[in-house]
Amino acid sequence: MSQESPFRIYAKPEFQSSSLIVGWAEDAGKLGPKVVDYLNKKLEAQDFGEIEPVDFFSLGGVLVENDVAHFPESKFHHCQAYNLVIFKSSLPRAEWYKFLNLVLDVAEYYGHVKELYTVGGMISFGAHTAPRELFAIANSPEMKQVLSQYDLARGMDYQTPPGQRPTLSSFLLWVAKRRNIAGASLWVPIPFYLVAMEDPQAWKKTLEFLDKRLDLRIDFTDLDEEIERQNEKMAQLRIRFPEIDSYIRRLESNLSLTEEESERLVKAIEESLGKRD
Amino acid sequence: MGVRLYEEPELENPVLIAGWPGIGNVGIIAVDTLRGVLKAEEFGEIEPWDFFYPKKILIRNGELKDLEFPSNKFYFKKTEERDLIFFVGEEQPTEEGRAYAEGRKAYQMANLVLDVALKLRCQRAYTSGAAVAPIHHTMKPKVWAVPNTEALIDELRGYENTILMSDIEGRKGQGNITGLNGLLLGVAKKRGLEAVCIMGEIPVYLQGLPLPYPKGSKSVLEVLTASLGVRIEMEGIIELVERSEREVENLYQRFPLEIREQLDKLKYVTYARPAEPGPITEEDKKRILEDIDKFFKKGPKED
Repeated sequence: MSQESPFRIYAKPEFQSSSLIVGWAEDAGKLGPKVVDYLNKKLEAQDFGEIEPVDFFSLGGVLVENDVAHFPESKFHHCQAYNLVIFKSSLPRAEWYKFLNLVLDVAEYYGHVKELYTVGGMISFGAHTAPRELFAIANSPEMKQVLSQYDLARGMDYQTPPGQRPTLSSFLLWVAKRRNIAGASLWVPIPFYLVAMEDPQAWKKTLEFLDKRLDLRIDFTDLDEEIERQNEKMAQLRIRFPEIDSYIRRLESNLSLTEEESERLVKAIEESLGKRD
Repeated sequence: MGVRLYEEPELENPVLIAGWPGIGNVGIIAVDTLRGVLKAEEFGEIEPWDFFYPKKILIRNGELKDLEFPSNKFYFKKTEERDLIFFVGEEQPTEEGRAYAEGRKAYQMANLVLDVALKLRCQRAYTSGAAVAPIHHTMKPKVWAVPNTEALIDELRGYENTILMSDIEGRKGQGNITGLNGLLLGVAKKRGLEAVCIMGEIPVYLQGLPLPYPKGSKSVLEVLTASLGVRIEMEGIIELVERSEREVENLYQRFPLEIREQLDKLKYVTYARPAEPGPITEEDKKRILEDIDKFFKKGPKED
């Protein structure tokens, strides 16, 4: 099995050049999977290949979540009309460098990919009522120049703190840089109490950038409705539970919560809105 | 996947000394201390990305500047007595959920280290690790030595404060050295290079704690330098040992009294031949070891 090709291709897209969007299935606020699923649906993207899991995932059984067995997936989609390749994958557990190179091998060979965008969420200690920001990290001065034309937070200085590791998106950005593929990783801070939930505002923030950058002309009415629904739920929750309201008010005033208060807020939100994975 | 050598030093019959982190970091502290004291010069590295997940990203003004991986570096030192090559690995290339390297990655890394050693006409390799033993932390740790060829046994028997597997009661010369500190020995044997793993003892009750145990490293250093015929200043490691002893003693005093009473009996246990007559009987010794084993649910082992 391991002697066979590490990927399978079902169709051969015909691109002169294209952009690659990468989202990971496990992400804060479900940003990665929701953004790529939304694009796939709206742009009617077609599957064209996948990476075989055997070298990259622990296949000692299956993970059961919410009563359902899950299996790792690493799939490529293409959207001819917009010169777009979309890759969505579970986070690999081994052979990361080989995996990331394989993603770029397929994207370059079959999609003639010239630029890359990773999408992801990161934890914020702000309130959900604050506007979402989109942070961008470029892997070259040229890409930085391109990003300067958009409404993004671009001047970030960051170094991995001790005891933590870089994200897989950062690793991919670095691999792309070594291969002279221009790239940027896009990050939206997600309020910590929505990290295990859904944050459609954050999805929209990312999608709006991609829409402009790649000239996708997406109608976001459905997403606006989803944002409205969630805002309404949160507002109801604050009316019903004064304790939750007081915590969120403090966050809105840029005051911090204690660890215990934060845990209570997370728990209350998850119980009320229903944790969905 | 490969090795990058910045230069190819001219060495005469060098000896390789390799180390990776393990229990109490006993081996890596010994190897890195020797490298540091001798001021060995860096001359190459194993490209890390095939083996490791990165450990640090550096972003400046919104641009990715660098991604840092665990280091795997080669050093050399020409001494009056002997030319030395060091290999120091910052991490073992482990797979998910495992503490030590094993399988394909470990085998590849061991071979890459030996590729360099053999290219430079290396005559022998040493690795170093920890031997988890039923000893008390106030005792001087012994060194367990495992060669990859019978031809070295007589030489190892001549080392001070050193025992072989067959000297350990109940082992009948058997054992297991996990991770790259052990695997390198096997791969060296396969490639016709003689090699020895020297392991400094660490008390059984300290093995699971995230504490280095430089006292074991000091014993390794003493044996290693004697075997190499290299003299070094030991002040640095002595200071490290003194600091660590204070930490360990503080920790020990926080153990419940009944546990300390059990562990104190380890001061009187001799598990390795030649056993000197002690203040306790064989039956006492058996019971003490069984009690401590029950407490920790683990027997003596090595890495």
